[in-house]
Amino acid sequence: MNSPAPLPSTASPAPAPVAMRGYPRADGRKGIRNFLLVAYLVECAHHVARRIASPYQGDGVQLIGFPGCYPSDYAQRVMEDLATHPNVGAVLLVSLGCEEFQRARLKEAIAASGREVELLTIQSAGGTTGSVAKGRAWVEARLAALAAAPTVPLALSDLVIGTKCGGSDGLSGVTINPAVGHASDLLVDAGATVMFEETCELIGCETHMAARAATPELAAALTAAVRKADSYYTELGHGSFGGGNIKYGLSTLEEKSLGAYAKSGSRPISGVLKPGVRPPAPGLYLMDTVNDGPVRYGIPNINDTQTITEMVASGCHLILFTTGAGSVVGQALAPVIKGVSNSRVFTRMEDDMDINGGTIADGIEGVADVGRRIVDAVRAAASGLPTKSEALGHQEFILSYKTYEPLGPGCLPV
Amino acid sequence: MGEPGAANMIRLAAGDNVGIALVDIAAGSTAATLDGLALRALEAIPQGHKIALVPIAPGADIVRLRMAVGIARAEIPAGRLVHVHNVASRYLNNDQDHYE
Repeated sequence: MNSPAPLPSTASPAPAPVAMRGYPRADGRKGIRNFLLVAYLVECAHHVARRIASPYQGDGVQLIGFPGCYPSDYAQRVMEDLATHPNVGAVLLVSLGCEEFQRARLKEAIAASGREVELLTIQSAGGTTGSVAKGRAWVEARLAALAAAPTVPLALSDLVIGTKCGGSDGLSGVTINPAVGHASDLLVDAGATVMFEETCELIGCETHMAARAATPELAAALTAAVRKADSYYTELGHGSFGGGNIKYGLSTLEEKSLGAYAKSGSRPISGVLKPGVRPPAPGLYLMDTVNDGPVRYGIPNINDTQTITEMVASGCHLILFTTGAGSVVGQALAPVIKGVSNSRVFTRMEDDMDINGGTIADGIEGVADVGRRIVDAVRAAASGLPTKSEALGHQEFILSYKTYEPLGPGCLPV
Repeated sequence: MGEPGAANMIRLAAGDNVGIALVDIAAGSTAATLDGLALRALEAIPQGHKIALVPIAPGADIVRLRMAVGIARAEIPAGRLVHVHNVASRYLNNDQDHYE
């Protein structure tokens, strides 16, 4: 992607590299946070879980959950992936008691991962009042130990990073998305694992993308993933292109795709993932976030947070999120670093934005300069410094019904 | 050649038939790239929006960064705004989506 301006940079010199440290986990991964997760297992337990967690929002207690009462292999697996995520140190499960969720199975998986876990069942714990009291007591008894947990040195090669855009505008594909693409190249070169997503926002880019595949079989799998998204959305009659995109200058889905695709940088693509599948080796991966099989359960990804949740389930420690119109989202388990495509929105929403990519359009910095600043922001977040969305208390989370088939042959040639 | 900072438009690749406004470009003013391409904007081109760099025939591709990002619905004279009113998608047109 071209930089508009080979101009002298007036950006401040890069800060000294931050010494990153992580929380070692039994499975060999390292966390960049040590969250205590409060997870409700049906919407009927949501209120109690929120009441338990809310006094400790600034203390690393994060709220997630699955609202459905009907069984879902997908939700069961994603909840297990999230509850054993490297950024999680302990888990309190909040069940109503009669939902279909396999709570005992989830609890066993968490315990087997070496984490402290408790299962609170509202129907046998004294209803709302008794459950909130018991839950808060369990949380309070663990906060000090979680905060004082030992850490070990952490390198960029320990990190899994997801890239995502939301509220894209006509400059996203000129400024901040190519800058994230450059950061992605730098991170992959440093041995990190990077994933990009949302095949419905790659429609039109499949030929170029397939040419970057590590093997011909993977090229076919990448193309097939985009074709699946195209046919799925065509059947739905509603694509990933909306009024906000149009308002800020994007004219077609494929033009939006071109901008979104720029986030993937230029390195070879090592594989296709599905939610919950962890990248087997460092490198760059595409995550396929569109349901398999016939169209059911409605729109595959109802908002940006759903896709982010799926990347976190595949092990992302943090998310690079770009916006043009100005998104404010964070995430419950993974810090979100937000970059904006234009200085107008950066000025208007500076408290929410970690990186201003508008400097590229302003002729102040080049794409590579902003890309390096993004890598600096990754180092800072991975060293424990809160991102803007974390500092503001954002904990967006959503999980809904989906179905995926196992990865096909050729998806992970590594 | 433009002075540093004088560019108000970028052509992402040679051969593209649209430029992208880096700032709001007023109707009647000059749209110019850093490498010296310049033309008159026949209407306001808001930041992030596209301007036709050459006359674009009906049915021709809209080319941005060497990629076809849409099809011209009508003749688009050089200097005109290129957007949903004169561009169709090869994929979805999202007629049900709302545009403020």
